[in-house]
Amino acid sequence: MGSPLSGKDASPAGLRLLDAVTPEKARLDRAGWVSVVAALLWLPQAGAVAWLLSELVHGRATISASLTGTVGFAALGILRAWLQALSDRLSVEAADGVLAVERSALIRREGRRSPMAGGPGSAAVAALASEKLAALAPYLTRYRPAWLRAAVVPLVILAVSAWCSWAVALVLLVAGPLIPVFMALVGMAARDASARQMEEIGSLNTRLLERLQALVDIRLLDGRTQVLGGFAERAEALRARTMEVLRIAFLSSAVLELFSALGVAMVAVYVGFSLLGTISFGAWATPLTMGQGIFLLLLAPEFFQPLRDVAAAWHDKAAATAVAAELAEAEAEVSVALVGAGVTAVPLPGAPSLQTVGLEVLAAPGLRLRFPDFTVPAGGSCALVGASGQGKSTLLAALAGLVPVSGGEIRVAGHRLGDAAADAWRMRIGWVPQAPHFFAASLGANLRLGEPGASAEEVRMALDVARARDVLERMPRGLLSRLGETGAGVSGGEARRLMLARAALGAADVILADEPTSNLDAETAAAVTDSLLALARGGATLVVATHDPALAARMDQQITLETTV
Amino acid sequence: MTRHLLSVFAMILRSESWALARGIALSVVVLSMGATLLGLSGWFIVAAGAAGLAGTGAVFDVFRPSAAVRFLALGRTAARYGERLLTHDATLRALALLRVRLLARISAAPFEVMSRFRGAQVLGRLTADVDALDGVALRLVIPLLAGGVTLAGAWAVLAWLVDPRVASWSVLGLAAGSALALGWAMRASARPSRLAAAADQAFRVRVIDHLRGRAMLAFAGQLDSSLASVLDADARARRAGLQVARVERRAGVLVSVAVTLAAAGALLLGAELARGGVITAPKVALAVLAVLALAETVAPLRRGVAEIGAMRDAARRVNRMLQTTPDPRPMPAGPQPDIAPGLQLDTVTLAAPGARQPLFAGVNLTVAPGETVALTGPSGIGKSTLLNAVAGLTAVQGGRILIGERPVGDWTEPDLRAVLGYLPQRSALISGTIAENLRLGAPDAGDAALHAVLADVALDGVVRRMGGLDARLGEGGKGLSGGEARRLVLARVLLRRPRILLLDEPTEGLDRETAARVLQGVRRACPDAAILLSAHRKVERGWANRALPLIRL
Repeated sequence: MGSPLSGKDASPAGLRLLDAVTPEKARLDRAGWVSVVAALLWLPQAGAVAWLLSELVHGRATISASLTGTVGFAALGILRAWLQALSDRLSVEAADGVLAVERSALIRREGRRSPMAGGPGSAAVAALASEKLAALAPYLTRYRPAWLRAAVVPLVILAVSAWCSWAVALVLLVAGPLIPVFMALVGMAARDASARQMEEIGSLNTRLLERLQALVDIRLLDGRTQVLGGFAERAEALRARTMEVLRIAFLSSAVLELFSALGVAMVAVYVGFSLLGTISFGAWATPLTMGQGIFLLLLAPEFFQPLRDVAAAWHDKAAATAVAAELAEAEAEVSVALVGAGVTAVPLPGAPSLQTVGLEVLAAPGLRLRFPDFTVPAGGSCALVGASGQGKSTLLAALAGLVPVSGGEIRVAGHRLGDAAADAWRMRIGWVPQAPHFFAASLGANLRLGEPGASAEEVRMALDVARARDVLERMPRGLLSRLGETGAGVSGGEARRLMLARAALGAADVILADEPTSNLDAETAAAVTDSLLALARGGATLVVATHDPALAARMDQQITLETTV
Repeated sequence: MTRHLLSVFAMILRSESWALARGIALSVVVLSMGATLLGLSGWFIVAAGAAGLAGTGAVFDVFRPSAAVRFLALGRTAARYGERLLTHDATLRALALLRVRLLARISAAPFEVMSRFRGAQVLGRLTADVDALDGVALRLVIPLLAGGVTLAGAWAVLAWLVDPRVASWSVLGLAAGSALALGWAMRASARPSRLAAAADQAFRVRVIDHLRGRAMLAFAGQLDSSLASVLDADARARRAGLQVARVERRAGVLVSVAVTLAAAGALLLGAELARGGVITAPKVALAVLAVLALAETVAPLRRGVAEIGAMRDAARRVNRMLQTTPDPRPMPAGPQPDIAPGLQLDTVTLAAPGARQPLFAGVNLTVAPGETVALTGPSGIGKSTLLNAVAGLTAVQGGRILIGERPVGDWTEPDLRAVLGYLPQRSALISGTIAENLRLGAPDAGDAALHAVLADVALDGVVRRMGGLDARLGEGGKGLSGGEARRLVLARVLLRRPRILLLDEPTEGLDRETAARVLQGVRRACPDAAILLSAHRKVERGWANRALPLIRL
């Protein structure tokens, strides 16, 4: 049969799908074969019914014939139900295994992408990991076993039918192959429609998440109506795309049902006329018996059923291929990973000095930033200054191994900053980001992120260093409070001081701070500067990216960044 | 619990009642045609065989039954296609509408509630929860009604055509067995399906948190342990999902056994009756095959019932969001304000959100059109809280805030937003082009206006370097530096030409020269606006005509 039905597909998506299946292939094959056996049990069941009815018509039936026929039918039916359940269990468990592997690989890879690099948004990744990958399951649990049944069961039924009557076999033989031909045509349309639907799901999620995060702005800009209108349009577009996929699926199963109905009707007409004696050809030597006639009629729908199952599961295949295509595409893209693995390590030995030599960073495709050479001695302090957009944040991120360097090198504590040293180096860093991020956990857990074992006393000291004690005291629930993702619930300055406290907690002897005094009034800014310098006097090395001339002036040295693209 | 499901169904019914009614009718047609088709075929073959044996084949009426078989086969196919299309389309339409209604509610929530939303969780309401509800009509209510009607009809027809005893054993047995199996599945799957949905939601939230916070996690050396917690949520979701699948599978076995026993019973009873000469053999075939076809009435319910726990939970959350979030500001059509709006604070007392102890009391201030006043004072004194109150986002504890001589609470939302522009401390950009970001608040602004406002905030050069108004920004405005992003959101506010302008630390993240240029640009863009800003920096204080220091009580 043609390539769309066989599932062997040499496109990147097809190969990727094969990759995903490989670890569970044995279990899936077993599931498929069990379902084949279950489907074939219908043959003896139909035989039992046909035999009993034939005995009745001939007036030969006894009570023991009734019981034998009935009990045989029921026992085989129960066995069949059990085998179907067994097949289902095997395939569901296999699908679960595939999902576990794929999700873990995807999130591991995305989590290691450099925070400064582009790439898909977090909502898009979440959508891919959650509902899109879940679309692999129906392919594994429904399409694959159906495909195996379609390859075996019709052939067996054809052989059995041919044994009773060549005419019936001929009818089935003619009607059967029309189905794969039709399926091949539908298949291509279904795949395109599925791909469009998947794309719409992804973009709807991304758009929506961003608008939800910008809700306050949207209210203030009176953009509600506009956003709602835009969203209504997108929701409608998603519906249309989904209906497109469904329409193809429904249409294909309707056409198959038609083929199957026509095939069964032709068998019925032939059997009917044979039994009436109007037709006397088609069976071997003797005329068709009553029992054979009923048996053939009961088998005919089951000849088509596996093919219809494949058709019903066709959009599962299309959806899985669309997901696999997305995975293949994401994996083919060169990703800028952070340096090191982001795991705990033994802190890097050596005095915490920093040095850059001929440093270049690819900030965005085609945007190469070149930075001046400088050295910050252990315990020294340094301000990175320069106009907005000169790469202060990028440089700071590079010093922490968050962005790989594309030229030159960074030496930290006497080591080259590469994969081998990055994790150990970061263990020594207290990081104050430009945009605060609070995890969905209590404030206490957020502060203790890097030092899960820190005592209440240590947390208090860190808050004191960051001049953030009063922030905490104003919160009714203290360390148990939960803040919004970017610190909603406290002012911008307060969120920044909490970030500082987080950096100060623990034994960091390198502080990298991106705009530590922004959103702070002069008095608090001076106080925060004092505490940063106090940390530095205690032996810590301090690098700040800042616009604040007061802060910059208090550093040992200032590095001015200028456009050197 | 079920009441939430019913209210969701009622909502779908209200918006798509005609389509659903036709869908249910078609569904009954499909199921009864299927049973009739198989029953008639069985009868036909056996009767033909009997006629052949009896030698009366020549007078046997072949044409009417075979015409009926063809009609039923074609009719069922057409009806099924129509039914599926109709019910799916109606459901998806109703759910799309539900999503929009939810977003409308969420976006009108009170400010304090809104600022604490975690995007990922609300996103879950709008996507996963609404998706979970598609089964309410498709896999529960419609199959239940259609299946019930079909079974009742099948009982009556079989009792009339064949024998009441055969009909009762097979149809009632099938119905009772299935009801037991489905009832058991409903109870057994409620907990795991709820857990699966909750764990899946936790998984999404953790994925987003993990990715957004990955820099912080790398420094804490927690990237792996955070990944482990993400995967733990996934493992819980999958484990619960396996449990649901197990219940569904067992229910499936029970239903199959019920169908087999019903058909076997029809066969045995029928055979005995036929041996006794009460009914004929063709009628036995009719009953057995019709019962086998009736299995279709129960099949779609299997999945629906297994999902019921997740559906009920989703329905509850969606309902809660639809019902309890109040519209903060009723929107009566007030008289169009044509006063030159200045701003006045009259003995205002304010407390921090959630706190009872006021931050400050008795603040008086007038800002005339064209005037700029800076709020000063230490971090945490309540400058932002005061700006929020002026913007009508939070209430004051005492005193009044007047905009154009009218209390801010009396303004309708659209009127207030039309005169008042507010740049809060935290603003979000969206992915899309620069122009899309700017037009968020001014959909009709032309390119010239956009260029002008970008020049006002000294961003024209940056945008030109990026490739103009159509340059694309990544998630949350990625691609711009902190200071550039700040200026772009400022431009977005200025583009609306507000007559009252509230700025919360407008030049944060900007170097001094740029800050000074931007502030001049603000005045140039809105020459007659009354501007109130919260200022930390000297350059901002210097720009204002005067300062109002806030003093803690």
